[in-house]
Amino acid sequence: MSALLKAELLKLRTTRTFAALIGSALALSLALLVLSGLLTDYNVAEDVRLLFAGDFTGIFILLLGAMGMSGEWRHRTITSAVLAAPDRLRLLAAKTLSYAVAGVVVSFLITGMLMLIGTIILSSRDQLTLGSTDLIDVMWRNLVVAAYLGAVGVLVGTIVRSQVGAIIGLIVWFLIVESALFGLAPDVAKFAPLNGAPGGIIDVSFDDGDTTLLAPGIAALVMLGWVTAMFAAGAALIRGRDLT
Amino acid sequence: MATVEVRDLSKRFGKVEAVKNLSFDVEAGRVTGFLGPNGAGKSTTLRALLGLIHPTGGTATFAGKRYDELEHPSAAVGAVLEDASFHPGRSARNHLRVLATTGGHPPSRVDEVLESVGLSEAADRRVKGYSMGMKQRLGIAAALLGDPEVLLLDEPTNGLDPPGIAWMRGMVREQAAQGRAVLISSHLLAEVSQSVDDVVVIANGELRAQGTLEAVLGGDDEPETEVNAEDPHALAAALKKAGATVREEGGKLVVPGMTPGQVGAIAAKAQVTVLGLAPRARSLEQAFMALTAERRA
Repeated sequence: MSALLKAELLKLRTTRTFAALIGSALALSLALLVLSGLLTDYNVAEDVRLLFAGDFTGIFILLLGAMGMSGEWRHRTITSAVLAAPDRLRLLAAKTLSYAVAGVVVSFLITGMLMLIGTIILSSRDQLTLGSTDLIDVMWRNLVVAAYLGAVGVLVGTIVRSQVGAIIGLIVWFLIVESALFGLAPDVAKFAPLNGAPGGIIDVSFDDGDTTLLAPGIAALVMLGWVTAMFAAGAALIRGRDLT
Repeated sequence: MATVEVRDLSKRFGKVEAVKNLSFDVEAGRVTGFLGPNGAGKSTTLRALLGLIHPTGGTATFAGKRYDELEHPSAAVGAVLEDASFHPGRSARNHLRVLATTGGHPPSRVDEVLESVGLSEAADRRVKGYSMGMKQRLGIAAALLGDPEVLLLDEPTNGLDPPGIAWMRGMVREQAAQGRAVLISSHLLAEVSQSVDDVVVIANGELRAQGTLEAVLGGDDEPETEVNAEDPHALAAALKKAGATVREEGGKLVVPGMTPGQVGAIAAKAQVTVLGLAPRARSLEQAFMALTAERRA
C-alpha cells in the first residue's frame, strides 16, 4: 500500500495542474487575508480565528481530486494504473488517501503562511493576535476539511468519470445547491457533503450556541459517513467495470 | 505447464459474443503471433488475460495464476495495449517513475529501459509532444520495466514507420531469445510473419488454427504445382482424366493436390512436352485469408 501511495503522490506532483491549482489556492487565500488584515479592525479573537480559517485549499483539492481520478478515464491511463496495481480496491484506496494526504500537506503550508503573514500584519497595526492554542485549533480544523475534500474529490471522479461533468457538478453543488439548501432547509443542509458537514468543523465559533451547523464531533462522523458511502459506490463501480 | 494458458475463454458484451471458448498456449522463449482480422476478439482476449475485463467463462492464466493473483505483476508480465495512453502533461521519465514506484522497481530501471528503447534524449519531454512511434517505444519501455517473463503486445506496429517496424521485430526476437514468452497480436500477417515462431489464428472470436507458423500457414496441408506445357489443352485433359483439378493462370496450368513429380509422370504418360514444372506454395497471406474467411459465408 505504501508503494501505491507513493506512486499516487508522485503522479500528483508531476503534472502542472497540481502546481497551478495549489498556486491559485495560495494566491486567493493570501489576497483575502492581506485585504482583510489591512482593512478590517480585529478586536475579537473569533474574528481573527475566522481570518486564519480562510484557507482555500479545500475547494481546490476537491477539484484536483475529481480531475485526478476522472483524468485517469479521460486519458485512459486507468488501464496502466490497473495493470500496475490489479487490486482495484487498493488502487482506489491509495488514490483517495493520496489526495487526503496532499490536502493535509498543502493546507498545513497555506494555513501556516496565513497565520504567519496575518500575525505580522495584525501586529503591525496593533490589532489582536492569537495565542498558540487558538492557532493550533484553527489549524487542525483546516487540515481535517482539506483531507476530507481531497478524498471526496477522488471519489466523485470515480463515480462520475466524466472530467467536465465531475468538475461542473461539484462547483454547482458547492456554490448553488448547498447554498440554496441552507436557505430552504438548514436542518438538512448541515448534513450536506461539501459545505454542510465540513462547516461544522470549520465553524470556529460553534461554542457560542450556533445551531445552524453540526457540532464538530457529529460533523466528523457525518463526513466519515459520506466518504464511506462514496468509497463503497466508487469501489463497486471500478471493480465491476470492464476496461475495454 | 505453458507460460500463458488460455482455456475455454469466453466474453460476451451484451448480445455480442466477442470471444467463444478460446483455448491456446504461449511457450517461453518463443514469439507467438496472435492473428485475426479486425474485430476477431484479439484485444478482448489480451484484456481478459490481464484482468482488465471480466471473462464470461473460462480462464486465462500465467503459470497457473490469474493476473490479479500475481504477487509482482509487472515483474511477471509486461503489456503494451493497442491504445496505450499516457497523461499528456507528464514526461516519459515521470510516467516510468510512477510505474517503477508502484511495482517496487529500482529507479535506475527507468534510465535503463529508456536507453533500451532509444528514448533517453526525449525522456524529459512531455508526452503530448511525442510521435506515435515514440509513444509505442514508451509503451514498450513501461512493459520492460519489471524485466518480465511474459510480454503481451497488442498491435504494436500500428502507426510505426518502416524503421520502427524493423526495430519492433528485432526487439521482439531479442526478448524471446532471452527466454521470454512473447505474444504479439496483429491483423496484418505481413508485419509479424518475419518475427513469430508460432501462430494462433482467430476469427469471429473462435480459434481457427494454432501451431508453428510453417504448420499453420506454410501450406503444409496441400501441395500445388504450376506447369507450363507445349500443348496445355492435352495436358489438362490428361490431368483431369487422372482425377486432378486443373485451372489456368497466365497461360500456365495450376494443379492443386499434386506434386511436380505426379504432374510430370502424367505428362510423360500422355506424351506432352513439359516446358516448366514447379511446386507452388500458398502464400502466408492466402493461407491466413482462407483460415479467417472460410466460415464467414
